[in-house]
Amino acid sequence: MITQPVRQAGGHPPPDPGAVIDARGLTKRYGTTVTALDDLTVSVEPGVTGLIGANGAGKSTLIKILLGLLEPTTGKAAVLGHDCVADGFVIRTLTGYMPEHDCLPPDVTATELVTHLGRMSGLPATAARERAADSLRHVGLYEERYRQIGTYSTGMKQRVKLAQALVGDPRLLLLDEPTNGLDPAGRTAMLELIARIGTEFGISILVASHLLGEIEQICDQLVAIDAGRLLRADSIRSMTQASSVLVIEVDEGLDLLQADLSRRGLNPLPYQRGLLVQLASDATYDTVRDAVADLGLPLSRMEQRRHRIEELFRADPAEQLGQTTGAASVS
Amino acid sequence: MSADASAAAGRLASAAADGGVIHNIGYRRYDAARLGRAQIVRALIWHSFRAAFGIGRGAKAKIFPILLFVLMCLPAAVNAIGLALNPGSTPAVTYDGYTPQLRVVAMLIFVALEAPNLVSNDLRNHTLPLYFARPISRLDYPLAKLVAFLLACLAMIEIPLLLLYLGIVTQVHGASQVWEQTLQLGPGLLYGAAWAVLLASLGLLLASTTGKRVFAICAIGIPLFFSYILANVLAHIGQQAFGPAGFGQPSTLTSLAGLISPFTLLGGVLRWLEKAPAPGGPPVREVMQTTVGNYGPLYGAVFLVLTVAAIVGLFARYRKVGVA
Repeated sequence: MITQPVRQAGGHPPPDPGAVIDARGLTKRYGTTVTALDDLTVSVEPGVTGLIGANGAGKSTLIKILLGLLEPTTGKAAVLGHDCVADGFVIRTLTGYMPEHDCLPPDVTATELVTHLGRMSGLPATAARERAADSLRHVGLYEERYRQIGTYSTGMKQRVKLAQALVGDPRLLLLDEPTNGLDPAGRTAMLELIARIGTEFGISILVASHLLGEIEQICDQLVAIDAGRLLRADSIRSMTQASSVLVIEVDEGLDLLQADLSRRGLNPLPYQRGLLVQLASDATYDTVRDAVADLGLPLSRMEQRRHRIEELFRADPAEQLGQTTGAASVS
Repeated sequence: MSADASAAAGRLASAAADGGVIHNIGYRRYDAARLGRAQIVRALIWHSFRAAFGIGRGAKAKIFPILLFVLMCLPAAVNAIGLALNPGSTPAVTYDGYTPQLRVVAMLIFVALEAPNLVSNDLRNHTLPLYFARPISRLDYPLAKLVAFLLACLAMIEIPLLLLYLGIVTQVHGASQVWEQTLQLGPGLLYGAAWAVLLASLGLLLASTTGKRVFAICAIGIPLFFSYILANVLAHIGQQAFGPAGFGQPSTLTSLAGLISPFTLLGGVLRWLEKAPAPGGPPVREVMQTTVGNYGPLYGAVFLVLTVAAIVGLFARYRKVGVA
């Protein structure tokens, strides 16, 4: 996939020749005060990669630099082996981009829009029509494709945004918060779609999100950034394993349950209206079940926590759980 | 059953479970040649040109452009009918003086309504990131829009002129008369092109200042309309206060008033470029009600500066516009 080596910026490890995205010491400042990216060095392998960060962490800035739309203040970035500053045209031919915000005209049909944008991606007229129909079918909008976009639901609009990113047959998709504004069912459907594109279509995907719990289901790797800096880049397995926690809520007798779970060696901690315990293995579920059953308490909720990135990488439950459980510690 | 076959059966089963909607058609790659940047820009020009006439934008969007186009063609049609009914009569409509009042009204409405369609909609809907994420450069976008709208304005102005020409040459006899008409058509087309260039660049610049369609229509329509009224009023006052230009030169106020409005400016440029009437010859036709006096070159200069400034302003606007 890689066609040319990336020149190495000083002080950073050599570029990874198999990487779809390779950033070296990437810094982007707006004026003198705002630093969107701060010496970011990261390499992204083919596959589905989550780009995790709170709002304002620099995800969108990174994507725009990768597309060659913004020039980094310092540092270098390469996409599919092409330099982002020098080869923006090539990169934008090989890359599909799904913006975070609404970007669709309401008064045209999905077919017209995606066909037009296919032409803008460099497809001849006939190919653009065919691929627009294909793309819309892939995202599940085949029946509705002749309707004006203004009549679509939010979920359908997100699918159109994905279809327009897909129409140019990209080698890499850059998806910025693709589940934005979707209800739970819509989120699940969108994530399944992204996973399918990544696995069946063989297109590498960088999907930016602030909801780790959401995209950890579909990603092979995770890149976590905060305030423009790299927190961690790793495979999804090694990243989330150490930090799984279980939320338990009972309608009454929380104190009793806490005491009982402590006796059973789980070290529970109060969290909102429930308890939080480290999820060591499936046996933890059994322990909690037994404790609740023995006490005869009405259990209303027991689920593996959906971490939000702020919680996983910063304070809150991590701090509360602290050293004893070893949860969520990323330097 | 082989592993492949069972996998295929599984896919079919899952497709059926989706409620009959079979999404699993497999992904097809695109390996054929892609268009270059110039061809992509050309595609965007064609797309925007069509959009200016409401093509590809639903039935409602077509009403006004088509109505205005028909309106612009009416004088040519009337002229052709008149000539056919009274063979040998002089054409009522001239090429350079093609019903100026009608042209002002029709083009004012056309530019105010359609320029926002080309640029404001993309601003309002934040569609620009979708364009900029594709293999064109940032300034290719305003370039394509400008060329497209210029072509649209040319179509609005020049096609009626060509119809007028056709209507006349089918009624005249002899190659020399056809040639004479052709010679007269040339300046008319050039003058129409000056209209198209100035109105297209001004209209797009004003439309690109706002993403709200209504605001954009006002941002174009109000200055164009009121400057035209003001220019005519001032020219009139100049005549009333300082006397008509019966003998010497017209008053300075009257001569300069035409600079205020793009329409009277264009009329002034035409007046300046028209040959001075021969002594004892027919009086100069009141083409645009613009009196230029000795300031003809100033009209030419203002026309050039205004056009260039509008184009530069349009490109500067898109150099700065955010990508998301």
